[in-house]
Amino acid sequence: MRWLFSLLLLALLGAVQALSYTGGRLLVVLEEQSEREKYSVFLEDLAARGFHTTVDSPKSDKLSLFRHGERAYDHVILLPGKSKGLGPALTATQFLDFMKKEGNVLVALSSDHATPTAVQSLLLELDIHVPSDKGALVVDHFNYDSNSAAEKHDVLLLPYPKPLRPDVKNYFAGEGFIAVPRAIGQTLGNESPLIEPILRAPCTAYSYNPKDEADAVEDPFATGEQLSIVSSMQAHNSARLTVLGAAEMLQNGWFAEKATLNGKAIKTANRDFAQKLTAWTFKETGVLKIGKLFHYLDEGVSKKLNTSLAIPENNPKIYRVKQDVAFQVEISEYQGDHLAPYFPAPGDSVQLEFSMLSPFHRLNLTPISQTANSTIFGVSFKTPDQHGIFNFRINYRRPFLTNVDEKRQVTVRHFAHDEWPRSWQISGAWVWIGGIWVTVVGWVAFVAVWLYSAPTEKSVKKTQ
Amino acid sequence: MAPKSRHPEKSATASSSTPAKSSSKGGHVDAHEIVHGVWSKYVDKTPQRVKLLDSFMAFLVVVGALQFIYCCLVGNFPFNAFLSGFSATVGQFVLTASLRMQTNPENKAEFESISHERAFADFVFGSLILHFFCINFIN
Repeated sequence: MRWLFSLLLLALLGAVQALSYTGGRLLVVLEEQSEREKYSVFLEDLAARGFHTTVDSPKSDKLSLFRHGERAYDHVILLPGKSKGLGPALTATQFLDFMKKEGNVLVALSSDHATPTAVQSLLLELDIHVPSDKGALVVDHFNYDSNSAAEKHDVLLLPYPKPLRPDVKNYFAGEGFIAVPRAIGQTLGNESPLIEPILRAPCTAYSYNPKDEADAVEDPFATGEQLSIVSSMQAHNSARLTVLGAAEMLQNGWFAEKATLNGKAIKTANRDFAQKLTAWTFKETGVLKIGKLFHYLDEGVSKKLNTSLAIPENNPKIYRVKQDVAFQVEISEYQGDHLAPYFPAPGDSVQLEFSMLSPFHRLNLTPISQTANSTIFGVSFKTPDQHGIFNFRINYRRPFLTNVDEKRQVTVRHFAHDEWPRSWQISGAWVWIGGIWVTVVGWVAFVAVWLYSAPTEKSVKKTQ
Repeated sequence: MAPKSRHPEKSATASSSTPAKSSSKGGHVDAHEIVHGVWSKYVDKTPQRVKLLDSFMAFLVVVGALQFIYCCLVGNFPFNAFLSGFSATVGQFVLTASLRMQTNPENKAEFESISHERAFADFVFGSLILHFFCINFIN
């Protein structure tokens, strides 16, 4: 019996292993089932990582992103097809609703096929712009593959992307070159803080439509690093959408192809990059989880940090102004199949806000200890000289990391009347304390003399 | 009894006013002599209890002034302490001034209905309340 149980447990563990943080139901929308062979390695890789893949055509009647008002799938891959419409089940609104329910979408575009109108309006909604005319593609006369595109220069060989900023973690780093055949370049709007480029075109690239008859390209769609070949959008609820400019990148033909860059023979690393891209999009990487969150009075004898996670969160509901308070939070990062301690990129730090409408404190949290699968961040501070309803808040939003917004509300009260220092404890008050007591003693002496002197006066008067 | 005691006083004031007038008419009297004259008359003619009141009030003025000067020089950090210390002296001064008005034989006509004992009892009661408040306020 026991071995049966352990076997079951093992099987369960196997099912759980290397799965996305949010779930494994994956829908691959592919119009031509005959094209499935081209993506077989990519789909097998996904299945090997624990995704339950459903391949369906947009023309299928049963196809729906929702069932009973809930997501029917956790993730969607949209591969390009011949038809310009995607049908009533896959409209831009459906995709947005899917993302509102925290579903992740990978949209692959191809310059061989027209971009469906649903996808165009979806991208427009997210402030990602693609060229409107069919056939526009990115060319580069310096970084092309001279094996397959010696004439047209439309197969780009690009190194792995560098970190977006020095203080942002790079989830797409690697060694080698990525082949980008016939990509649709995107430009990203400046208004949205939610969109980030993953892979930019090199500065010598530009977008152009080979069907244009003109010899020289005039007024190109975009040039240089303005062009994003792979771009991403992470909504406030951390739903992710990735736009891949070249669906061909995912095909078997480019996963480990020999290519020549400027006369140097190389091997493309598309398989690895596709793995990293889908891992990020489908929340296998870059997922943060908040564990226990403590705050406590840090005054008097027990002035040491509490690093034990065994005790439950029994945080006080009320503090007083000008009290020393310690705060601790446990943050984990999901890495493929397990939660690991999270460390921010160098130059970045998780911050705690102690806020009432606006923050009165905004403090960097420092890692104070570490458990097997989380880092414990902590900071101590003094509550401000302002009473009211305050929040301990961690609002941590970084590119490529899921958004963290945790709050704990506390009351900060003013001093009770018996908590003020007594007058004699303040040396500055001694003069005036002296003033009062000199007055009182003088008054007592005066009363004594007055009473003592009264009869003599009377006797004097009597004698008169 | 009272009129008797008042009589010499009146005569004293009358006699003191006449030389003052004559001196102002003469125009050449030493300032020192005037001060000396005023002082000696005060010492001679004022009843002992009024002198006692006056000396207590002078003491209060000195204590209050010292506190105020200290506050101006050093600052009013525990402001409630300054307020209660200073107002203790000021309040005591006011109460003592009232007692002086009510018990001064010169004001006999105005405070006919209030005996000296009653005035003194009011003074003691008021002072005790004042001290109680000041000590509470300074915390």
